[in-house]
Amino acid sequence: MLEVTELAVAYGDVQVLWDVSLRVERGEIVALLGANGAGKTTLLRAISRTVPVRAGTIVLEGERIDRSPSAHVVELGVAHVPEGRRLWPDMSVEDNLRLGAYPRRARAGASSALDYVYAMFPRVADRRRQIAGTLSGGEQQMVAIGRGLMSKPSILMLDEPSLGLAPIVVAEMFETVRRINAEGTTVLLVEQNVRQALEIATRGYVVETGRVVSSGTREELLGSDEIRKAYLGL
Amino acid sequence: MAGLYAAMSYGLALIYGVLKIINLANAGFLMLGAYVTWWLFTSYHIHPLLAPLLIVPAFFLFGWALERTLVRRVLSAEPIISLLLLFGVWLVLQNLAYVIWTGDTRSIETPFVEATVNAGGLQLAVPRLYVFAMGALVLIALQLFLTRTYLGRAIRATAQDRDAARLVGVDVDRVMGIAFGIGIALAGFGGSLLSLLFSFTPDFGRALSLKSFCIVVLGGLDSIVGVAFGSLALALAEAFGVRYMPASLQNLISFVVLVVVLIALPRGIVGTVRALRRG
Repeated sequence: MLEVTELAVAYGDVQVLWDVSLRVERGEIVALLGANGAGKTTLLRAISRTVPVRAGTIVLEGERIDRSPSAHVVELGVAHVPEGRRLWPDMSVEDNLRLGAYPRRARAGASSALDYVYAMFPRVADRRRQIAGTLSGGEQQMVAIGRGLMSKPSILMLDEPSLGLAPIVVAEMFETVRRINAEGTTVLLVEQNVRQALEIATRGYVVETGRVVSSGTREELLGSDEIRKAYLGL
Repeated sequence: MAGLYAAMSYGLALIYGVLKIINLANAGFLMLGAYVTWWLFTSYHIHPLLAPLLIVPAFFLFGWALERTLVRRVLSAEPIISLLLLFGVWLVLQNLAYVIWTGDTRSIETPFVEATVNAGGLQLAVPRLYVFAMGALVLIALQLFLTRTYLGRAIRATAQDRDAARLVGVDVDRVMGIAFGIGIALAGFGGSLLSLLFSFTPDFGRALSLKSFCIVVLGGLDSIVGVAFGSLALALAEAFGVRYMPASLQNLISFVVLVVVLIALPRGIVGTVRALRRG
């Protein structure tokens, strides 16, 4: 459903991605792995059209989106949950979630989507009237994912959802991602937490200094010596 | 006075909140709102209380067009560039007013403007009551718009985190044009209300606009509720201040307040409260 071909992205004179190709099929969880600064976040931002694309194509459900405005890409069904959660800190939890249903196609179903998110995250439901900036990191991450789900996306892109969370909350977070996927949403997951990401992923791509250096199914990646040495510390 | 202060300051706070620029042309639009009210009254016999019905949509369109054509080009430049641009817009508006309406002092005289009511032994000027009520009404309407509608929430989201707003599909460029238009419409509305209370010249609005800066600093630059608090605080400070000092020093109060707040609470009242709540 999503196909990135020979993508190049640069911030001014500094090139961040070279010749990146990747493919996500409906129903998959695809993990993007790699060290800090490898270009994983930039790749997600190119897909959500919040950085300009220098060369290459991005095709979503047969439509080229590499020159589309970000609002159009969201309308087509891409939800990008950014690194660092990026909630609106002075709005209530519920207002944060409701704005997730901003795309026109999602507005009519906003109330049922809200019920779905509250059922998935009961702790968020308890805090719906609270100001978002007052929540704990784990709760904020749930709100950020919930906000992404509010637009009823066909593909959910998660950038480092486990960053800065306590280990027990991290496990819960991966379980949530697995559940969202099981309920029908395709997931593109950026993670530094390679072991746990590969546990739930169907396939993965390894990005190093702006290029895809290897890719494969979960089993192939888990079996690769290089990956075991570089990322799993085995 | 609080209602009036609020009406003329919301626009400034809204434009700063969303576009992160300071609208130095605010005084020009206040002045223009007052003149258009006067001109509609003297040339077309449109009652001054009805003038906002024309001024608000016209000023919104003007503000929106100004953002599209000029302001947008300088948004990513250093702050000084947008300050100079909007200062220039103010000068142009002021000089246009001199050309069209000359430098003579104008005022609106209708029975309404002179009316008073007797409330429990207090003589209250009707236009002052009216201006307060209208200011409060607009505050409530704006607050409802910003909290209850998708567009209003998108405006707040853009003010708090522009990139996050983009990621949920908000067309940030469009929101910025609309916010600037609303800001200018509020300035025009404030000017129209002012014309009921004061006489004016093309230089009108300068001292009042400085008070607006004081109010938004008091309230926090991106908070509508803060603007209401700031307006009330300044109006009360001034009202009590003149009992103890010559009226000619009234304007001094706002600047003393400004300096004290900047030193003691640099995030404004609301910003300080929020920071405490977030712990």
